Amino acid sequence: MINLKLGIAAVLLELGAWSGPLLLGGQTDSALASYLLVHALACVMLSLFLFPLLSTRQARPRLAIVLLMMVCSYAVPIAGFLGVLAAALVLRLYRKPATHTDFESLQMPEFDQHQRRQGHFRHAGLRSFLGNIHAPIQSRLRAMVALQYVSGRTASPLLRTVLSDPSEDLRLLAYGMLDTLEKRVNSSIDAELSALHAAQEAAGNAALRTLESAQRLSDLYWELIYQELVQGDLRKHAIKESLRYCDWVLAEQTDNAQLCLRRGRLLHEQKRPDEAAQAYAQARELGLPATRVLPYQAELCFDRKDFAQAHALMQELAQWSALPRLRPVVDYWSGP
Amino acid sequence: MSTRKAESADVALVLEGTFPYVSGGVSSWINQIIRAYPEIRFAIVFLGSRREDYKEFKYQLPDNVVHFEEHYLYENLNAHYQPAKRDGDPQAFKLIDQLIDALHQGPDHPQTMEVFRQVALEMRPGGKLRLEDFLYSQRSWEIICSVYRDHCSDPSFVDFFWTVRIMFQPLWLLARVASELIPVRVTHCASTGYAGFLGGLLEQTRGTPLVLSEHGIYTKERKIDLFKSEWIRDNRNIFQRDPTELSYFRQMWIHFFEWMGRYCYASADPIIALYEANRLRQVADGAAPERTFNIPNGIALARFAPLRTQRPATPPPVLCLIGRVVPIKDIKTFVRAMRRVANELPGAEGWIAGPAEEDPSYAEECQSLVRSLGLEENIRFLGFQKVEDLMPRIGLVVLSSISEALPLVLLEGYAAGVPAVSTDVGSCRQLVEGLDAADRALGPSGKIVPIADPQQLADAALSLLNDPVAWQAASQAAIARVERYYTDTMMFDRYRAVYDKAFRQAPGAH
Repeated sequence: MINLKLGIAAVLLELGAWSGPLLLGGQTDSALASYLLVHALACVMLSLFLFPLLSTRQARPRLAIVLLMMVCSYAVPIAGFLGVLAAALVLRLYRKPATHTDFESLQMPEFDQHQRRQGHFRHAGLRSFLGNIHAPIQSRLRAMVALQYVSGRTASPLLRTVLSDPSEDLRLLAYGMLDTLEKRVNSSIDAELSALHAAQEAAGNAALRTLESAQRLSDLYWELIYQELVQGDLRKHAIKESLRYCDWVLAEQTDNAQLCLRRGRLLHEQKRPDEAAQAYAQARELGLPATRVLPYQAELCFDRKDFAQAHALMQELAQWSALPRLRPVVDYWSGP
Repeated sequence: MSTRKAESADVALVLEGTFPYVSGGVSSWINQIIRAYPEIRFAIVFLGSRREDYKEFKYQLPDNVVHFEEHYLYENLNAHYQPAKRDGDPQAFKLIDQLIDALHQGPDHPQTMEVFRQVALEMRPGGKLRLEDFLYSQRSWEIICSVYRDHCSDPSFVDFFWTVRIMFQPLWLLARVASELIPVRVTHCASTGYAGFLGGLLEQTRGTPLVLSEHGIYTKERKIDLFKSEWIRDNRNIFQRDPTELSYFRQMWIHFFEWMGRYCYASADPIIALYEANRLRQVADGAAPERTFNIPNGIALARFAPLRTQRPATPPPVLCLIGRVVPIKDIKTFVRAMRRVANELPGAEGWIAGPAEEDPSYAEECQSLVRSLGLEENIRFLGFQKVEDLMPRIGLVVLSSISEALPLVLLEGYAAGVPAVSTDVGSCRQLVEGLDAADRALGPSGKIVPIADPQQLADAALSLLNDPVAWQAASQAAIARVERYYTDTMMFDRYRAVYDKAFRQAPGAH
């Protein structure tokens, strides 16, 4: 902070220094000595007064800067005094502080892939590795453990193949992992069922809460099918339940495009192609993007042996470039 | 609770988490064995986890059980006084250092078992390695810290510290039990693990011959528990974790149980399995092959033979699963299979006969599965039932277990003329299809299906229930098989020989 008192003191002292010898009127040594002393004091005051005007970067090293200002104003009376004042002001007013150098910009560190220990299996190798009963049990056990971090849809068919493995350890581990996957979905279904009953009793069949619950139940049963956690009659049962809740919601919310698509897929699974086709068409009318619905419509046409229509739909799909995984299929169908 | 105490006994049965508090296959086998030899005086040493887990006896103690004591491994984990800093015996800790080095040499190193046995010896009351030193001494802390630094791949020291403490603390309790047990002539363990450790310690310190009969394979079962368990934490983050590697604490527990098993195998002679696959497993886990052999389970035919005449002419459409409602029995697969059976054979019923108290949350899961599959009309949870009452009313004994040894319920069903549908676990294939050529010639006494496959389980059951000729053939094969190979008299004769041999080795109780 600038201390104005220091500035005033400096000016007064300097005035005093000049007026002192005049008042004393002599050209004595003592007059000169008193001038030099008071002038020196004034210089100290001035430099202390001006010092805060300098920016932090300019003000280093402190002592040397203060001394420089003192010496300048001391050695050249009046002109030095004014010069130092002018210099400080010019520095203050016309030199922009170089703030941008306060922070150094760094390159973003790049994640070094090599720091991470490489796993022993590539994703694609896992299936054949697990299926190879001649591989050492310990390595296969490790491969199984790695499956914990794979999504249920990929993991569950793999785990199911291991269920009939000759090694009991592997069988039991696979069973345990499948069971955990399934338990997760089933316990959610259970919780949701009681939530649905509670909502039904409190608000009736058509209330928003009930419908939300029903939709979630449809989702959860679909999850069992999607992750291939259920098979045979249980799969049929899950499809039936998912469809039941789906219809429940659609009866109230006819414009739910998402559920229309789900309904189509469930009916498709139940081998009811006409109704499925209708549901797919409705989902598209309701505004679901073509890329979401077209593949299923094409599959349905293929199942019904309507190859011309399947071809036409695939042509349509080819216009969209959003489906990298379907690319090979699209390419195959759009060939000459 | 029992207050039977004696000065000495002939055989000390060391039992971990089973008879007389828990009902089930192993427990009823133990009950059979004790009652088969009324002239032998048995002492029972029961080991459990915590007292509150074991409420009351499920079996009445036979009269020839002259002594009963129970100990709980995880009961006194907290100190009841203000612990103070201790120095610990430097020699004892040198032994521990040696043991740690030896353990890292691998299980097959000959010196490892030697050091392990020395350490076990020093854990007894009056030994150099005291529990207080392990818990509170400076040297012990330093060892834990250095092992953590050198070997632990999990970042949490706190978890490591407590895992080590909880893992080893029960061993001092067992060492005390071993030194205070009444004099006995022979020790008989029904599993390895903590019970096996105690048996091994008795053999090592008193020279008491140790007989080991394993039904399941303890180490394997613990391993599976540990693979699945959710309570063991893995604190590694995504960059530290190799997905193919088990969490360090899991591995610690697995190695711990493997070593307890090895220690027991080193002292036990004979090492008895129920069937060949388990015997090979014991050998793979460190048992000396020449000490191992098989004695299959057997049942009392007289109890079940009269039931054959009470059966209706055609098999009733009832599938019965006899077993505790616990995950290892995989009741859920049975329930799911019933969905298909009920679709194909509308009047069919599935009965689940067994206590559900052991794992209430699993029992609840099963109940809710029944509801969610809409099988309330078809499935009945009967609770504990007398097997003799059930047999005449059921068409099939079903076993959907994911792990079994040599299940008695199949044999009991056979004796009553009821064929079985079972998963391909333990010795079930041998029981259903036969072991050697002569056994196979009897024909299949049911069907074998893969585990966790409700569809195939249902189809197998339906194929027998819908075809009376096939059912009758299976029933005849079942009766013939159990009468020829699995009677209790055969089992008792063979165990009699085992005990006699052991008694000859140890003339007096000590």
